[in-house]
Amino acid sequence: MSEPSAPTVVDALEPWPGTVAWRPVSSRLIIVHLIGIAIWSAVLLGGLLAGYLIVEGTPWLAGMGAVFALAAWRAVIAARAVRAWGYAERDKDLLVRHGLLVRHLSIVPYARMQYVDVTAGPLERAFGLATVQLHTAAAASNARVPGLPPDEASRLRDRLTALGEDRAEGL
Amino acid sequence: MTSAGLPHPPQATPGDPAPAGPIPTGTGGQPLPGTPGSEGFYSSGLPGGASQPLSDGGNAASVPYGGFSEGAPAGTGSTDGEARQRLHPLSPLLKGAKSIAVIIAALSWNTLGQVGATDFALIVLGLAVAVVIFSAIGWWNTGYHVVGRELRITEGLIWRRNRAIPLDRLQAVEVRRPLLAQLTGLAELRLEVVGGGKTEAPLAYLTVRDAGTLRERLLSLSGRAPAVAAPTPGDTAAEIPLYRVRNQDLLISQLLTPQAFFLPFGVAWVITQFVMEGTWTFIGIASTVTAMAGVLLQPIRRVLRDWDFRLFRGERLVLHYGLTETRSQVVPPHRVQTVRVTWPLLWRAKQWLRLTLDIAGVSGPEPGEDHSSDRLMPVGDLAAARALVAAALPGVDLAGLATSPPPARAKWLHPFGLRFYGAGLADQVFVSRSGRLTREMTLVPYARLQSVRVVQGPLQRRLGLATVYADTAGGRAGEARDRDLAEAYAIADQLAARSRQARAVPQVVAGAGVPGSGPALAPPAPGFPPPASGFAPPASGFATPASGIPTPGFVPPGPSHAASAPGVGGDSSGFGASGVVPPDAGGRPISEPDDETYWQRPEQS
Repeated sequence: MSEPSAPTVVDALEPWPGTVAWRPVSSRLIIVHLIGIAIWSAVLLGGLLAGYLIVEGTPWLAGMGAVFALAAWRAVIAARAVRAWGYAERDKDLLVRHGLLVRHLSIVPYARMQYVDVTAGPLERAFGLATVQLHTAAAASNARVPGLPPDEASRLRDRLTALGEDRAEGL
Repeated sequence: MTSAGLPHPPQATPGDPAPAGPIPTGTGGQPLPGTPGSEGFYSSGLPGGASQPLSDGGNAASVPYGGFSEGAPAGTGSTDGEARQRLHPLSPLLKGAKSIAVIIAALSWNTLGQVGATDFALIVLGLAVAVVIFSAIGWWNTGYHVVGRELRITEGLIWRRNRAIPLDRLQAVEVRRPLLAQLTGLAELRLEVVGGGKTEAPLAYLTVRDAGTLRERLLSLSGRAPAVAAPTPGDTAAEIPLYRVRNQDLLISQLLTPQAFFLPFGVAWVITQFVMEGTWTFIGIASTVTAMAGVLLQPIRRVLRDWDFRLFRGERLVLHYGLTETRSQVVPPHRVQTVRVTWPLLWRAKQWLRLTLDIAGVSGPEPGEDHSSDRLMPVGDLAAARALVAAALPGVDLAGLATSPPPARAKWLHPFGLRFYGAGLADQVFVSRSGRLTREMTLVPYARLQSVRVVQGPLQRRLGLATVYADTAGGRAGEARDRDLAEAYAIADQLAARSRQARAVPQVVAGAGVPGSGPALAPPAPGFPPPASGFAPPASGFATPASGIPTPGFVPPGPSHAASAPGVGGDSSGFGASGVVPPDAGGRPISEPDDETYWQRPEQS
């Protein structure tokens, strides 16, 4: 499973190509992200519009343009960002990768697990998604998998806790 | 003050008789039979009355002064459960003294001038009495006892707290003796557990003998296997003195800090200023003096703290240090999360270095003032450091740790210090180095790894680089910065595999010929390691020096001291290129890396 065969073509999102079965997160997460972006942009645009109506001036319009551009860019990125998320359960450890601009890959051994969180915000719940986060004793380790369907989330949680109990070591 | 885990409501109900209950009956430190008042205190919050089992783990301690723990979990109470013990009767006075000093400082000279000496004395006296009474009440309600493999601590009067500390989670134990405690023959016992930002269970104060025996007992209970052996008081006799810092070295080392180093220049500058302007105002001088004291505070504090630093090793590391406040810290070797080696710039002429170690629970991510109780060697030379590293991380030879620098194109990210960065996978530790002026080397034992991360920022992506972090519970991570991406993944893979391997193997016994003790020693082969176990020792080229470490005592400075570690003393040569290079491997090891075979860059292999 963890064959460090010398890879010739290396992609930041594909370590050890061919050896790890990456699982994607649900593509519904894209919609959640888009809605989140839309809400934020609407709030910002509303504020700027109010400002424009009170005191007229080009800076407000420029601000609105900037917000709009940022929202559009983030919306374009959102799909790719969600596709960049991935996780893989290997025999002994969980791999999580994410990030487009800054790419992260976390390898967390099950034995190091301290606890598992399953959370779901209102938007995520509306789309039937949940987030699983694995915590270790190191504050820096960050193994968070968003956008899982609830049954998959609970399956992952149960599997993680079961494996963690098997190999309980902690520190 | 958290009330988590309390089986009963923490709020006292109005008209509660309990606060008044225990105090009038106070005669000595014996456990009292449960007073009706205190029973009432608990039953007031519980429908079933106080005798009802509340919850596992909390029931025994929740009945105050109940003497022997009733219904201790899993039957352990019958053998190990014991009467709750109080702290030493003098401890309220000692604790109060601290607060009184604070109060006097808060009242300040200003108040003294306003109210006059007698009134001031009366105020202080009244406050002192109040403080002592208050701490006496606290002392009365504080107790500890060992139940099975747990230490239980009860404290608080109104907000009562029972804390059960599973001893197998114990990270380190420290005995502290502040000045007043030294005068009165008392000591404070502090247990370090993972999870709090601060010390979880300070027991202040006990007599020195009690603290010593309790510490031995807790540590023997905290062993991995359930300890059958009774605490042996003579255990400390088996400690072998391993290292001692000479006080003059400590003084010199602290004079060689930037603060102390630049002080003369600062003084000269200020004096010139005064002379030039010709005005000698009191405010000016006072503020200058204060500023200097502030600058010098850290070195002075370090001198006071590390005074008479001694390190012993038996089956655990024992550190003694301190002048005004002596501390003695016991660290089981398997609790050492990372060891950091620091070569400060100003110490280089002396060929000195410093060792610090991270223990989970002691040192938080932020280096606070009180979190720095994790020193392994405040100052010393390479030979001493080798011996100490070998003691803290059995089987690791500081002089035999090879690292390789990042690829040359990383110079865009590190224009100056590129050759001082490096990382290497040694036999049992992950080594990473950084820093041009203050050189640092971090050793992370594979067995302590919590997780591995590979992070690639946008600039790094442009250059095809990535950084590997090896996270530990100590809060600090070993990081291999800006490696080639393929290499970074190979390192990450190796780290994961080796940490798995190291966890599967019970910890290596100290000093047992370590390079050969790992199981499944594959023959050192160039190229990538056999994939199945994923654990291949590095080529034997740099493992050999480890056999030369005498476990106790000192490593004599090697015959080729300067040659074996060229960079530690001779600034300009060696060190930067490849860190501490094994003997005979001088020159530029980038092109001749016979000891970093498994993760060579693809284009080279």
